[in-house]
Amino acid sequence: MPTKRGSRKKAAFFMILPLLVLFIGLTVYPFAYMIYMSFHDYSLVSWEEPKFVGLENYREIFRDRTARSSVTFTVILLVAAVPLEILLGIGIAFLFRDTLGEKVFRSSLLIPMTIPPVVAGIAWKMLYNYEFGPVNYFLSLFDLPKVSWLGSQFFAQLGVILIDVWQWTPFVFLIIYAGLQSIPRDIVEASLVDGASGWNALRYIELPLIQPLIWVALIIRVIDVLKIFDIVYMVTFGGPGSATHSYSFYIYKVGVSFGWDIGYASALSIILLLVITLLANFLIKALRLKEILEL
Amino acid sequence: MRWFLRIIKSLLVALVLFFFLFPVYWLVTTAFKQSEDWFTWPPSFFPSTWTLGNFLGLEGGFFGSVTTSISTITPYLRNSVVVAVSVALISTAIAALAAYAISRYKIGGMGFISWIISIRMLPPIAAALPLYVIFSHLHLVDTWWALIAAHLLFTTPFSTWILITFFNDIPRELDEAAYVDGASPGQAFLKIALPLGMPGLAACATLSFVQSWGEFLMALVLTTSDNAQTLPIYLGRFITGWRIAWGPLAAAGLVTMIPVIVFSLIMQRYLLRGLTFGAVKG
Repeated sequence: MPTKRGSRKKAAFFMILPLLVLFIGLTVYPFAYMIYMSFHDYSLVSWEEPKFVGLENYREIFRDRTARSSVTFTVILLVAAVPLEILLGIGIAFLFRDTLGEKVFRSSLLIPMTIPPVVAGIAWKMLYNYEFGPVNYFLSLFDLPKVSWLGSQFFAQLGVILIDVWQWTPFVFLIIYAGLQSIPRDIVEASLVDGASGWNALRYIELPLIQPLIWVALIIRVIDVLKIFDIVYMVTFGGPGSATHSYSFYIYKVGVSFGWDIGYASALSIILLLVITLLANFLIKALRLKEILEL
Repeated sequence: MRWFLRIIKSLLVALVLFFFLFPVYWLVTTAFKQSEDWFTWPPSFFPSTWTLGNFLGLEGGFFGSVTTSISTITPYLRNSVVVAVSVALISTAIAALAAYAISRYKIGGMGFISWIISIRMLPPIAAALPLYVIFSHLHLVDTWWALIAAHLLFTTPFSTWILITFFNDIPRELDEAAYVDGASPGQAFLKIALPLGMPGLAACATLSFVQSWGEFLMALVLTTSDNAQTLPIYLGRFITGWRIAWGPLAAAGLVTMIPVIVFSLIMQRYLLRGLTFGAVKG
Protein backbone atom coordinates (compact mmCIF):
# COMPACT_ATOMS: atom_id res chain seq x y z
CA MET A 1 0.00 0.00 0.00
CA PRO A 2 2.20 2.83 -1.27
CA THR A 3 -0.16 5.63 -0.22
CA LYS A 4 -0.22 4.34 3.35
CA ARG A 5 3.60 4.30 3.40
CA GLY A 6 3.67 7.87 2.17
CA SER A 7 1.22 9.08 4.78
CA ARG A 8 3.27 7.46 7.52
CA LYS A 9 6.42 9.20 6.33
CA LYS A 10 4.53 12.46 6.37
CA ALA A 11 3.22 11.82 9.87
CA ALA A 12 6.73 10.98 11.04
CA PHE A 13 8.00 14.24 9.62
CA PHE A 14 5.37 16.21 11.52
CA MET A 15 6.31 14.37 14.67
CA ILE A 16 9.94 15.45 14.55
CA LEU A 17 9.03 18.96 13.43
CA PRO A 18 8.83 20.52 16.94
CA LEU A 19 12.25 19.09 17.78
CA LEU A 20 13.69 20.37 14.51
CA VAL A 21 12.29 23.85 15.04
CA LEU A 22 13.63 23.95 18.60
CA PHE A 23 17.10 22.80 17.63
CA ILE A 24 17.42 24.96 14.56
CA GLY A 25 16.18 28.02 16.42
CA LEU A 26 18.43 27.43 19.38
CA THR A 27 21.55 26.13 17.71
CA VAL A 28 21.88 26.82 14.00
CA TYR A 29 21.10 30.52 14.10
CA PRO A 30 23.09 31.22 17.29
CA PHE A 31 26.12 29.41 15.95
CA ALA A 32 26.02 31.16 12.65
CA TYR A 33 25.93 34.37 14.66
CA MET A 34 28.83 33.20 16.77
CA ILE A 35 31.02 32.32 13.80
CA TYR A 36 30.23 35.74 12.32
CA MET A 37 31.06 37.51 15.59
CA SER A 38 34.31 35.62 16.06
CA PHE A 39 35.70 37.61 13.11
CA HIS A 40 34.55 40.90 14.59
CA ASP A 41 35.51 43.25 17.33
CA TYR A 42 32.29 43.64 19.30
CA SER A 43 31.49 44.35 22.91
CA LEU A 44 28.04 44.68 24.41
CA VAL A 45 29.06 47.51 26.71
CA SER A 46 30.33 49.81 24.00
CA TRP A 47 27.90 51.44 21.63
CA GLU A 48 29.97 50.70 18.57
CA GLU A 49 28.85 48.47 15.74
CA PRO A 50 30.75 45.19 15.23
CA LYS A 51 33.95 45.88 13.32
CA PHE A 52 35.48 43.27 11.01
CA VAL A 53 38.93 42.26 12.23
CA GLY A 54 39.56 39.02 10.32
CA LEU A 55 41.43 36.41 12.33
CA GLU A 56 42.54 38.87 15.01
CA ASN A 57 40.41 37.25 17.75
CA TYR A 58 41.90 33.84 16.99
CA ARG A 59 45.44 35.24 17.00
CA GLU A 60 44.68 36.85 20.34
CA ILE A 61 44.07 33.40 21.88
CA PHE A 62 47.70 32.47 21.30
CA ARG A 63 48.99 35.70 22.81
CA ASP A 64 46.63 35.71 25.79
CA ARG A 65 48.36 34.33 28.89
CA THR A 66 45.15 33.78 30.84
CA ALA A 67 43.74 31.79 27.93
CA ARG A 68 46.88 29.65 28.01
CA SER A 69 46.62 29.08 31.75
CA SER A 70 42.95 28.13 31.41
CA VAL A 71 43.91 25.56 28.78
CA THR A 72 46.66 24.30 31.08
CA PHE A 73 44.30 23.88 34.00
CA THR A 74 41.74 22.09 31.82
CA VAL A 75 44.46 19.72 30.63
CA ILE A 76 45.54 19.14 34.24
CA LEU A 77 41.95 18.19 35.06
CA LEU A 78 41.83 15.83 32.09
CA VAL A 79 45.09 14.14 32.98
CA ALA A 80 44.56 13.97 36.74
CA ALA A 81 40.83 13.62 37.33
CA VAL A 82 39.54 11.52 34.45
CA PRO A 83 41.93 8.52 34.74
CA LEU A 84 41.37 8.51 38.49
CA GLU A 85 37.61 8.47 38.02
CA ILE A 86 37.79 5.61 35.52
CA LEU A 87 40.09 3.48 37.70
CA LEU A 88 38.20 4.17 40.92
CA GLY A 89 34.86 3.64 39.18
CA ILE A 90 35.93 0.22 37.89
CA GLY A 91 37.50 -0.68 41.24
CA ILE A 92 34.40 0.25 43.22
CA ALA A 93 32.16 -1.64 40.79
CA PHE A 94 34.14 -4.83 41.49
CA LEU A 95 34.30 -4.03 45.20
CA PHE A 96 30.57 -3.53 45.59
CA ARG A 97 29.59 -6.51 43.53
CA ASP A 98 28.24 -9.35 45.69
CA THR A 99 28.54 -7.27 48.84
CA LEU A 100 25.74 -7.34 51.36
CA GLY A 101 23.67 -4.21 50.75
CA GLU A 102 24.99 -3.50 47.24
CA LYS A 103 21.65 -2.09 46.09
CA VAL A 104 21.64 0.50 48.87
CA PHE A 105 25.31 1.37 48.26
CA ARG A 106 24.64 1.74 44.57
CA SER A 107 21.78 4.14 45.16
CA SER A 108 23.72 6.19 47.68
CA LEU A 109 26.57 6.70 45.23
CA LEU A 110 24.03 8.28 42.93
CA ILE A 111 23.83 11.29 45.23
CA PRO A 112 27.13 13.05 44.41
CA MET A 113 26.44 13.04 40.66
CA THR A 114 22.81 14.10 40.90
CA ILE A 115 22.82 16.88 43.48
CA PRO A 116 22.99 20.22 41.72
CA PRO A 117 26.66 21.20 41.24
CA VAL A 118 25.95 24.49 42.96
CA VAL A 119 24.91 22.67 46.12
CA ALA A 120 27.92 20.37 45.88
CA GLY A 121 30.04 23.50 45.57
CA ILE A 122 28.60 24.88 48.81
CA ALA A 123 29.26 21.63 50.67
CA TRP A 124 32.88 21.54 49.49
CA LYS A 125 33.46 25.19 50.18
CA MET A 126 32.55 24.46 53.80
CA LEU A 127 34.72 21.35 53.87
CA TYR A 128 37.74 23.23 52.52
CA ASN A 129 37.41 26.13 54.97
CA TYR A 130 40.87 26.93 56.31
CA GLU A 131 40.09 27.65 59.95
CA PHE A 132 37.13 25.42 60.71
CA GLY A 133 36.80 23.00 57.80
CA PRO A 134 36.50 19.26 58.39
CA VAL A 135 39.11 18.43 55.73
CA ASN A 136 41.79 20.28 57.67
CA TYR A 137 40.49 18.63 60.81
CA PHE A 138 40.97 15.17 59.28
CA LEU A 139 44.49 16.19 58.25
CA SER A 140 45.21 17.30 61.82
CA LEU A 141 44.23 13.84 63.06
CA PHE A 142 47.24 12.56 61.14
CA ASP A 143 49.43 15.36 62.51
CA LEU A 144 49.44 17.11 59.17
CA PRO A 145 49.44 20.91 59.07
CA LYS A 146 46.37 22.90 58.02
CA VAL A 147 46.20 23.48 54.30
CA SER A 148 45.01 26.69 52.72
CA TRP A 149 42.90 24.81 50.17
CA LEU A 150 41.64 27.74 48.20
CA GLY A 151 44.61 30.02 48.79
CA SER A 152 47.46 28.37 46.93
CA GLN A 153 47.64 27.44 43.29
CA PHE A 154 48.57 23.81 43.88
CA PHE A 155 45.94 23.10 46.52
CA ALA A 156 43.17 25.00 44.76
CA GLN A 157 43.79 22.90 41.65
CA LEU A 158 43.98 19.74 43.72
CA GLY A 159 40.77 20.81 45.43
CA VAL A 160 38.87 21.10 42.16
CA ILE A 161 40.27 17.75 40.98
CA LEU A 162 39.09 16.14 44.21
CA ILE A 163 35.59 17.54 43.84
CA ASP A 164 35.38 16.32 40.25
CA VAL A 165 36.50 12.86 41.35
CA TRP A 166 33.90 12.92 44.11
CA GLN A 167 31.15 14.01 41.74
CA TRP A 168 31.82 11.81 38.75
CA THR A 169 33.48 8.59 39.92
CA PRO A 170 29.93 7.42 40.75
CA PHE A 171 28.96 7.94 37.10
CA VAL A 172 31.74 5.65 35.90
CA PHE A 173 30.92 3.22 38.69
CA LEU A 174 27.24 3.02 37.75
CA ILE A 175 28.03 2.35 34.09
CA ILE A 176 30.58 -0.35 34.83
CA TYR A 177 28.41 -1.87 37.55
CA ALA A 178 25.46 -2.11 35.17
CA GLY A 179 27.79 -3.66 32.61
CA LEU A 180 29.02 -6.28 35.07
CA GLN A 181 25.44 -7.18 35.97
CA SER A 182 24.69 -7.88 32.33
CA ILE A 183 27.54 -10.41 31.91
CA PRO A 184 25.96 -13.87 32.00
CA ARG A 185 27.08 -15.66 35.14
CA ASP A 186 27.60 -19.02 33.43
CA ILE A 187 30.42 -17.71 31.22
CA VAL A 188 32.49 -16.76 34.24
CA GLU A 189 31.53 -19.88 36.17
CA ALA A 190 32.41 -22.11 33.22
CA SER A 191 35.86 -20.58 33.07
CA LEU A 192 36.33 -21.14 36.79
CA VAL A 193 35.32 -24.78 36.39
CA ASP A 194 37.84 -25.07 33.57
CA GLY A 195 40.52 -24.05 36.04
CA ALA A 196 40.88 -20.31 35.45
CA SER A 197 41.81 -18.32 38.52
CA GLY A 198 39.45 -15.57 39.68
CA TRP A 199 41.95 -12.98 38.51
CA ASN A 200 42.23 -14.52 35.04
CA ALA A 201 38.46 -14.69 34.68
CA LEU A 202 38.34 -11.01 35.48
CA ARG A 203 41.25 -10.10 33.24
CA TYR A 204 40.36 -12.17 30.18
CA ILE A 205 36.58 -12.46 30.32
CA GLU A 206 34.92 -9.69 32.29
CA LEU A 207 37.16 -6.75 31.45
CA PRO A 208 37.03 -7.34 27.69
CA LEU A 209 33.25 -7.60 27.91
CA ILE A 210 32.87 -4.26 29.66
CA GLN A 211 35.57 -2.55 27.59
CA PRO A 212 33.10 -0.84 25.22
CA LEU A 213 31.39 0.70 28.24
CA ILE A 214 34.70 1.93 29.60
CA TRP A 215 35.23 3.76 26.32
CA VAL A 216 31.80 5.35 26.50
CA ALA A 217 32.39 6.46 30.09
CA LEU A 218 35.84 7.80 29.22
CA ILE A 219 34.69 9.91 26.27
CA ILE A 220 31.67 11.31 28.10
CA ARG A 221 33.90 12.25 31.03
CA VAL A 222 36.46 13.93 28.77
CA ILE A 223 33.75 16.01 27.12
CA ASP A 224 32.22 16.95 30.47
CA VAL A 225 35.55 18.00 31.96
CA LEU A 226 36.02 20.38 29.04
CA LYS A 227 32.73 22.00 30.07
CA ILE A 228 33.39 22.26 33.82
CA PHE A 229 32.08 25.55 35.16
CA ASP A 230 29.70 25.43 38.15
CA ILE A 231 32.11 23.95 40.67
CA VAL A 232 34.84 26.39 39.70
CA TYR A 233 32.45 29.32 39.95
CA MET A 234 31.16 28.32 43.37
CA VAL A 235 34.27 27.04 45.08
CA THR A 236 37.27 28.95 43.76
CA PHE A 237 35.87 31.52 41.33
CA GLY A 238 38.89 30.71 39.19
CA GLY A 239 41.33 31.75 41.86
CA PRO A 240 43.76 32.25 43.33
CA GLY A 241 44.82 34.47 40.43
CA SER A 242 43.93 32.47 37.36
CA ALA A 243 45.08 29.11 38.78
CA THR A 244 41.70 27.40 38.48
CA HIS A 245 40.23 29.15 35.47
CA SER A 246 38.68 26.32 33.52
CA TYR A 247 38.26 27.01 29.82
CA SER A 248 34.48 27.51 30.17
CA PHE A 249 35.01 29.76 33.15
CA TYR A 250 37.41 31.89 31.15
CA ILE A 251 34.90 32.23 28.31
CA TYR A 252 32.34 33.33 30.89
CA LYS A 253 34.72 35.92 32.26
CA VAL A 254 35.59 37.29 28.84
CA GLY A 255 32.06 37.16 27.49
CA VAL A 256 29.99 38.12 30.51
CA SER A 257 31.51 39.22 33.75
CA PHE A 258 34.46 41.18 32.30
CA GLY A 259 33.33 43.54 29.61
CA TRP A 260 30.95 41.49 27.46
CA ASP A 261 33.61 41.00 24.80
CA ILE A 262 31.42 38.97 22.44
CA GLY A 263 33.93 38.86 19.59
CA TYR A 264 36.78 37.31 21.53
CA ALA A 265 34.49 35.06 23.59
CA SER A 266 32.98 33.76 20.34
CA ALA A 267 36.41 32.86 19.01
CA LEU A 268 37.24 31.04 22.25
CA SER A 269 33.89 29.22 22.07
CA ILE A 270 34.39 28.16 18.47
CA ILE A 271 37.67 26.46 19.42
CA LEU A 272 35.92 24.62 22.26
CA LEU A 273 33.08 23.61 19.95
CA LEU A 274 35.51 22.20 17.39
CA VAL A 275 37.24 20.07 20.02
CA ILE A 276 33.97 18.83 21.47
CA THR A 277 32.49 18.05 18.06
CA LEU A 278 35.54 15.94 17.33
CA LEU A 279 35.15 14.08 20.64
CA ALA A 280 31.41 13.67 20.09
CA ASN A 281 32.25 11.85 16.86
CA PHE A 282 34.35 9.35 18.80
CA LEU A 283 31.46 8.96 21.21
CA ILE A 284 29.02 8.28 18.40
CA LYS A 285 31.36 5.57 17.08
CA ALA A 286 31.83 4.05 20.54
CA LEU A 287 28.11 3.93 21.27
CA ARG A 288 27.29 1.38 18.54
CA LEU A 289 24.18 3.31 17.69
CA LYS A 290 23.05 0.80 15.09
CA GLU A 291 22.51 -1.86 17.76
CA ILE A 292 20.85 0.46 20.22
CA LEU A 293 18.51 1.94 17.67
CA GLU A 294 17.88 -1.31 15.82
CA LEU A 295 18.51 0.51 12.56
CA MET B 1 42.74 -15.81 55.58
CA ARG B 2 39.21 -15.60 54.26
CA TRP B 3 37.95 -13.58 57.21
CA PHE B 4 40.94 -11.30 56.88
CA LEU B 5 40.10 -10.54 53.26
CA ARG B 6 36.52 -9.99 54.26
CA ILE B 7 37.53 -7.39 56.85
CA ILE B 8 39.73 -5.58 54.33
CA LYS B 9 36.84 -5.55 51.90
CA SER B 10 34.43 -4.15 54.49
CA LEU B 11 36.91 -1.46 55.43
CA LEU B 12 37.27 -0.45 51.79
CA VAL B 13 33.51 -0.32 51.34
CA ALA B 14 33.22 1.85 54.45
CA LEU B 15 35.97 4.15 53.19
CA VAL B 16 34.31 4.54 49.78
CA LEU B 17 30.92 5.30 51.33
CA PHE B 18 32.49 7.77 53.74
CA PHE B 19 34.24 9.69 50.97
CA PHE B 20 31.16 9.96 48.79
CA LEU B 21 28.59 10.63 51.49
CA PHE B 22 30.42 12.78 54.02
CA PRO B 23 30.07 16.06 52.06
CA VAL B 24 26.32 15.49 51.88
CA TYR B 25 26.18 14.61 55.57
CA TRP B 26 28.06 17.80 56.37
CA LEU B 27 25.67 19.94 54.36
CA VAL B 28 22.60 18.37 55.93
CA THR B 29 23.83 18.68 59.52
CA THR B 30 25.04 22.25 59.01
CA ALA B 31 21.55 23.19 57.87
CA PHE B 32 20.32 22.32 61.35
CA LYS B 33 23.21 23.81 63.34
CA GLN B 34 22.90 26.81 65.63
CA SER B 35 25.07 29.75 64.69
CA GLU B 36 27.53 28.96 67.53
CA ASP B 37 28.23 25.63 65.85
CA TRP B 38 29.04 27.00 62.39
CA PHE B 39 32.58 27.97 63.28
CA THR B 40 34.13 25.68 65.87
CA TRP B 41 37.34 23.74 66.29
CA PRO B 42 37.18 20.84 66.28
CA PRO B 43 34.26 21.08 63.83
CA SER B 44 30.99 19.89 65.32
CA PHE B 45 30.32 16.61 63.57
CA PHE B 46 27.11 16.03 65.38
CA PRO B 47 25.29 19.19 66.44
CA SER B 48 24.52 19.28 70.17
CA THR B 49 21.21 20.97 69.54
CA TRP B 50 19.28 20.81 66.31
CA THR B 51 17.44 23.92 65.19
CA LEU B 52 15.13 24.92 62.39
CA GLY B 53 16.28 28.52 62.79
CA ASN B 54 18.33 28.48 59.59
CA PHE B 55 15.21 27.80 57.57
CA LEU B 56 13.03 30.28 59.41
CA GLY B 57 15.54 33.12 59.54
CA LEU B 58 15.85 32.98 63.33
CA GLU B 59 19.53 32.10 63.56
CA GLY B 60 21.39 35.38 63.83
CA GLY B 61 23.86 36.30 61.17
CA PHE B 62 26.78 38.49 62.04
CA PHE B 63 28.53 41.53 60.78
CA GLY B 64 29.92 40.95 57.31
CA SER B 65 27.55 38.26 56.17
CA VAL B 66 25.11 39.41 53.54
CA THR B 67 22.07 37.27 53.89
CA THR B 68 21.15 35.85 57.23
CA SER B 69 18.01 33.92 56.51
CA ILE B 70 16.41 32.11 53.68
CA SER B 71 13.14 33.94 54.17
CA THR B 72 13.88 35.78 50.90
CA ILE B 73 13.83 32.50 49.02
CA THR B 74 10.19 32.67 47.88
CA PRO B 75 10.51 34.38 44.47
CA TYR B 76 13.43 32.14 43.52
CA LEU B 77 11.54 29.06 44.58
CA ARG B 78 8.58 30.20 42.49
CA ASN B 79 10.80 30.81 39.43
CA SER B 80 12.47 27.43 39.83
CA VAL B 81 9.15 25.63 40.06
CA VAL B 82 7.64 27.43 37.06
CA VAL B 83 10.68 26.97 34.85
CA ALA B 84 11.37 23.36 35.82
CA VAL B 85 7.75 22.25 35.48
CA SER B 86 7.38 23.94 32.09
CA VAL B 87 10.64 22.42 30.89
CA ALA B 88 9.53 18.99 32.09
CA LEU B 89 6.20 19.14 30.26
CA ILE B 90 7.38 20.75 27.02
CA SER B 91 10.51 18.69 26.66
CA THR B 92 8.65 15.44 27.28
CA ALA B 93 6.00 16.31 24.69
CA ILE B 94 8.54 17.26 22.03
CA ALA B 95 10.75 14.28 22.82
CA ALA B 96 7.87 11.78 22.79
CA LEU B 97 6.81 12.79 19.29
CA ALA B 98 10.35 12.79 17.94
CA ALA B 99 11.35 9.56 19.67
CA TYR B 100 8.32 7.76 18.31
CA ALA B 101 9.06 8.89 14.78
CA ILE B 102 12.68 7.83 15.11
CA SER B 103 11.91 4.50 16.75
CA ARG B 104 9.13 3.49 14.35
CA TYR B 105 9.96 5.15 11.06
CA LYS B 106 13.73 5.54 11.41
CA ILE B 107 13.33 9.07 10.19
CA GLY B 108 16.58 10.94 9.62
CA GLY B 109 18.65 7.81 10.19
CA MET B 110 22.07 7.90 11.77
CA GLY B 111 22.71 11.50 10.84
CA PHE B 112 19.77 12.88 12.78
CA ILE B 113 20.54 10.75 15.82
CA SER B 114 24.16 11.86 15.80
CA TRP B 115 23.05 15.46 15.61
CA ILE B 116 20.91 15.00 18.70
CA ILE B 117 23.89 13.57 20.58
CA SER B 118 26.10 16.47 19.50
CA ILE B 119 23.57 18.96 20.82
CA ARG B 120 23.44 17.13 24.11
CA MET B 121 27.24 17.40 24.33
CA LEU B 122 27.26 21.11 23.53
CA PRO B 123 29.15 23.25 26.05
CA PRO B 124 26.51 25.42 27.78
CA ILE B 125 28.74 28.48 27.85
CA ALA B 126 29.06 28.40 24.06
CA ALA B 127 25.27 28.37 23.74
CA ALA B 128 24.65 30.89 26.51
CA LEU B 129 26.41 33.84 24.88
CA PRO B 130 24.66 33.86 21.49
CA LEU B 131 21.36 33.04 23.20
CA TYR B 132 21.83 36.03 25.46
CA VAL B 133 22.32 38.31 22.48
CA ILE B 134 19.32 36.87 20.65
CA PHE B 135 17.06 37.02 23.69
CA SER B 136 18.09 40.56 24.43
CA HIS B 137 17.01 41.56 20.89
CA LEU B 138 13.69 39.87 21.58
CA HIS B 139 13.44 41.54 25.01
CA LEU B 140 13.27 38.12 26.63
CA VAL B 141 16.30 38.35 28.91
CA ASP B 142 15.30 37.96 32.55
CA THR B 143 12.06 36.18 31.73
CA TRP B 144 10.97 32.60 32.33
CA TRP B 145 10.72 32.04 28.57
CA ALA B 146 14.40 32.58 27.91
CA LEU B 147 15.37 30.15 30.61
CA ILE B 148 12.80 27.55 29.56
CA ALA B 149 14.02 27.66 25.96
CA ALA B 150 17.65 27.40 27.02
CA HIS B 151 16.97 24.44 29.30
CA LEU B 152 14.97 22.67 26.60
CA LEU B 153 18.09 22.66 24.48
CA PHE B 154 19.68 20.21 26.93
CA THR B 155 16.74 18.24 28.31
CA THR B 156 15.07 17.41 24.99
CA PRO B 157 17.98 15.41 23.54
CA PHE B 158 18.27 13.54 26.83
CA SER B 159 14.55 12.71 26.92
CA THR B 160 14.47 11.79 23.25
CA TRP B 161 17.15 9.21 23.89
CA ILE B 162 15.41 7.61 26.83
CA LEU B 163 12.16 7.43 24.87
CA ILE B 164 13.73 5.97 21.74
CA THR B 165 15.00 3.01 23.75
CA PHE B 166 11.63 2.87 25.48
CA PHE B 167 9.54 2.79 22.29
CA ASN B 168 11.93 0.23 20.81
CA ASP B 169 10.90 -2.12 23.59
CA ILE B 170 7.20 -1.83 22.77
CA PRO B 171 6.36 -4.54 20.25
CA ARG B 172 5.84 -3.21 16.76
CA GLU B 173 3.11 -5.78 16.13
CA LEU B 174 0.78 -3.67 18.24
CA ASP B 175 1.14 -0.72 15.86
CA GLU B 176 0.73 -2.97 12.86
CA ALA B 177 -2.46 -4.37 14.33
CA ALA B 178 -3.78 -0.85 14.80
CA TYR B 179 -2.96 0.04 11.19
CA VAL B 180 -4.79 -3.06 9.98
CA ASP B 181 -7.79 -1.84 11.96
CA GLY B 182 -7.55 1.43 10.02
CA ALA B 183 -5.80 3.67 12.54
CA SER B 184 -3.69 6.58 11.32
CA PRO B 185 -0.09 6.98 12.53
CA GLY B 186 -1.25 9.72 14.87
CA GLN B 187 -3.86 7.45 16.39
CA ALA B 188 -1.38 4.59 16.73
CA PHE B 189 0.89 6.95 18.64
CA LEU B 190 -1.81 8.35 20.91
CA LYS B 191 -3.73 5.15 21.57
CA ILE B 192 -0.92 2.60 21.76
CA ALA B 193 2.57 4.00 22.16
CA LEU B 194 1.70 6.75 24.63
CA PRO B 195 -0.25 4.64 27.15
CA LEU B 196 2.33 1.85 27.00
CA GLY B 197 5.17 4.34 27.20
CA MET B 198 3.80 6.09 30.29
CA PRO B 199 6.57 4.95 32.64
CA GLY B 200 9.14 6.28 30.18
CA LEU B 201 7.31 9.58 29.82
CA ALA B 202 7.12 9.95 33.60
CA ALA B 203 10.84 9.26 33.85
CA CYS B 204 11.64 11.87 31.19
CA ALA B 205 9.47 14.51 32.79
CA THR B 206 11.00 13.90 36.20
CA LEU B 207 14.57 13.88 34.97
CA SER B 208 14.06 16.99 32.85
CA PHE B 209 12.63 18.68 35.91
CA VAL B 210 15.70 17.71 37.89
CA GLN B 211 18.12 18.99 35.26
CA SER B 212 16.34 22.29 34.87
CA TRP B 213 16.02 22.70 38.63
CA GLY B 214 19.75 22.43 39.24
CA GLU B 215 21.00 24.19 36.10
CA PHE B 216 23.28 27.10 36.88
CA LEU B 217 25.16 28.57 33.94
CA MET B 218 22.22 29.44 31.68
CA ALA B 219 20.34 30.93 34.60
CA LEU B 220 23.40 32.96 35.53
CA VAL B 221 23.77 34.47 32.08
CA LEU B 222 20.13 34.80 31.00
CA THR B 223 18.53 36.21 34.15
CA THR B 224 19.33 39.35 36.07
CA SER B 225 16.77 39.78 38.84
CA ASP B 226 14.35 37.87 41.00
CA ASN B 227 11.85 38.11 38.14
CA ALA B 228 13.37 34.97 36.71
CA GLN B 229 16.41 33.95 38.77
CA THR B 230 16.25 30.39 40.03
CA LEU B 231 17.40 28.70 43.23
CA PRO B 232 20.97 27.91 42.12
CA ILE B 233 21.54 31.62 41.45
CA TYR B 234 20.08 32.43 44.85
CA LEU B 235 22.58 30.04 46.41
CA GLY B 236 25.44 31.61 44.50
CA ARG B 237 24.58 34.99 46.00
CA PHE B 238 25.18 33.74 49.51
CA ILE B 239 28.86 33.30 48.80
CA THR B 240 29.74 36.93 49.32
CA GLY B 241 30.61 39.08 52.28
CA TRP B 242 33.49 38.54 54.65
CA ARG B 243 32.16 35.46 56.24
CA ILE B 244 29.58 33.20 54.78
CA ALA B 245 26.52 32.43 56.86
CA TRP B 246 26.96 28.67 56.66
CA GLY B 247 23.73 27.66 58.38
CA PRO B 248 21.24 29.45 56.12
CA LEU B 249 23.38 28.65 53.09
CA ALA B 250 23.30 24.96 53.89
CA ALA B 251 19.58 25.20 54.61
CA ALA B 252 18.93 26.76 51.20
CA GLY B 253 21.16 24.11 49.64
CA LEU B 254 19.14 21.41 51.31
CA VAL B 255 15.88 22.86 49.99
CA THR B 256 17.38 22.90 46.49
CA MET B 257 18.75 19.41 46.79
CA ILE B 258 15.83 17.45 48.22
CA PRO B 259 13.56 17.21 45.15
CA VAL B 260 16.55 16.37 42.99
CA ILE B 261 17.68 13.50 45.20
CA VAL B 262 14.21 12.09 45.67
CA PHE B 263 13.35 12.16 41.97
CA SER B 264 16.73 10.85 40.83
CA LEU B 265 16.58 7.91 43.19
CA ILE B 266 13.10 7.00 41.98
CA MET B 267 14.14 7.24 38.34
CA GLN B 268 17.68 5.91 38.62
CA ARG B 269 17.20 3.19 36.00
CA TYR B 270 16.29 5.73 33.33
CA LEU B 271 18.81 8.31 34.46
CA LEU B 272 21.70 6.13 33.44
CA ARG B 273 20.06 5.20 30.16
CA GLY B 274 19.72 8.85 29.26
CA LEU B 275 23.18 9.88 30.39
CA THR B 276 24.87 7.17 28.35
CA PHE B 277 22.61 7.48 25.29
CA GLY B 278 21.22 4.01 25.79
CA ALA B 279 24.62 2.30 26.06
CA VAL B 280 23.54 1.15 29.52
CA LYS B 281 20.07 -0.26 29.85
CA GLY B 282 20.19 -0.03 33.63
